[in-house]
Amino acid sequence: MTGSTATGETTTSDGAARPRQLAMVFDLNKCMGCQTCSIACKVLWTREEGEEHHWWMSVNTQPGLGTPKDWESMGGGWRDGQPVPGHQPTRAEFGGGWKFNHQDVMFGGKGRQTHLQPVDTGDGTTRWGMNWDEDQGGGTYPNSYYFYLPRLCNHCTHPVCVSACPSGAMYKRAEDGVVLRDETVCQGARFCMEACPYKKISFNYVRGVAQHCIACFPRLEAGVAPACARQCPGRLVFVGDAADPHGPIHRLVHDWQVALPLHEEYGTGPNIFYVPPLSPARLNDDFSIDEETPRIPPEYLESLFGPRVHAALDRLRSELATVRSGGTSELLDTLIVYHWNELFGPYTTDPSTLDRSPERVAVQLGPTANRSS
Amino acid sequence: MVSLTLSDLSGAADPGDPADPAWAGVPAVTVPLAPVPVDAQPNAYIRASWADRPYGRTPTADVAAATVGDRLLLRLSWEGSGEAPGEFPDACGALFPGGQGPALPATMGSAEEPVTLWQWRDRTEAQQQAQPAARHLVARGPGVFRPAAGGGELSAAALRTGGRWAVVLSGPRDVLGDDARVAVAVWDGPSDERAGIGAVSAEWAAVVR
Repeated sequence: MTGSTATGETTTSDGAARPRQLAMVFDLNKCMGCQTCSIACKVLWTREEGEEHHWWMSVNTQPGLGTPKDWESMGGGWRDGQPVPGHQPTRAEFGGGWKFNHQDVMFGGKGRQTHLQPVDTGDGTTRWGMNWDEDQGGGTYPNSYYFYLPRLCNHCTHPVCVSACPSGAMYKRAEDGVVLRDETVCQGARFCMEACPYKKISFNYVRGVAQHCIACFPRLEAGVAPACARQCPGRLVFVGDAADPHGPIHRLVHDWQVALPLHEEYGTGPNIFYVPPLSPARLNDDFSIDEETPRIPPEYLESLFGPRVHAALDRLRSELATVRSGGTSELLDTLIVYHWNELFGPYTTDPSTLDRSPERVAVQLGPTANRSS
Repeated sequence: MVSLTLSDLSGAADPGDPADPAWAGVPAVTVPLAPVPVDAQPNAYIRASWADRPYGRTPTADVAAATVGDRLLLRLSWEGSGEAPGEFPDACGALFPGGQGPALPATMGSAEEPVTLWQWRDRTEAQQQAQPAARHLVARGPGVFRPAAGGGELSAAALRTGGRWAVVLSGPRDVLGDDARVAVAVWDGPSDERAGIGAVSAEWAAVVR
């Protein structure tokens, strides 16, 4: 049983303050794979040298090998309270960050002999990249299927990356549960990259430090939602405190139980949740409609979101049926998001209203991160 | 205990260069290295990951020591594994307990007895523009490294001949402190060695002035 104080602080039934935890819910039924979230993050955070191949926010087609390539087979996480050894994704497995032959095509007089393409640097990085297997999906005609899966750091409740760091550069902020790294302390050992089962930590080979999504913490501190969420044209990303019993995240995750973590079995307690995708009915061989069988195999969704995905999909289908028969659904009204700012919990400040002078926006990640011990 | 005798290279043309002929006249000592114990690694993740995986693959390093004014120069030389480069660079370091410190260098210091670490990593010129190849650290255990506050300018130059590295580390001489001991460490990059996963001197070497 939880409640809220007048200041919005979350409390338990015995009145004790519960730690705040930033959480997000992505409604996969609304994600169209436009990558606006990815670009919003890229433009804001990873434009410097050494970050060319970084995609702290990325959207991949499912089923697919994802980013880095085949990340789900790389290990990491916790099992029975013990860390699971993992593979450090290589630069080639991330791929991307390409340089193109603009000179040849545009100015080198070879415009009729070649076409615009990445320059092969011989290190395998041109053979994979973020969203490489876009829209390939699974199944066979006429029952082929795919959906999009946005991924970022899960800012886990039990972050194995923090536990694996030998230098103590990584930490989880007490005030909002955001997992951060002091880049002035990071020694580039990359055990965090091995240990993270979601493989959402990248390495900056120029600066010699690992880097990952910082949940746009300078924006959070100014009351602004993370860029990936605010820029999403599909209005599908909820942001807020996971423990706020009145917030949509708590209701979607705990009350209606239609938002689920990705690969909960990894044991890190992810704080990014997903409303699983519904799909049209399968077609039989004679092209009649099999109303009882969704085109996206439920067992595939279970492999991503666990066995609770079936109940979540049943709940969504039930609510849809209620509305179709003239009833109302608070759950569907919540997911529809009639009012944009309802997505963002306490982070509704318009960034254009902030002081954007260079002195104000200069952010040094290490020293300014409000570090808790 | 191994002893290193300091030579005065004030007259050398470029003592910071490992190829400078003056180093031929400086006595080098072969220091045995051993893997940093897996049980001493700082967290359960690293212990679990490396419990059954060999590391510390560099058996020995040749070490010579010299001074130029108030600068201490250490020339480390070792045979690389020869394996194809991977994600991690070859690296070496010198550990200094200063006036106090642990009895053995095997754990690269401890929380109670930190040691100074001069570390060199094989970095490209572009990488060195963002972060120099040499860095001055405080070690409080295997891989428990943090940037040292102050400590003076540290520089390094490296030369690879065939599979053999020669690196000269140059920093303030007062790092030796009162008891003038030093240990060396080598990380074999192709074997994914880094942080506390590497080879370190089995015992301190005395630096004889």
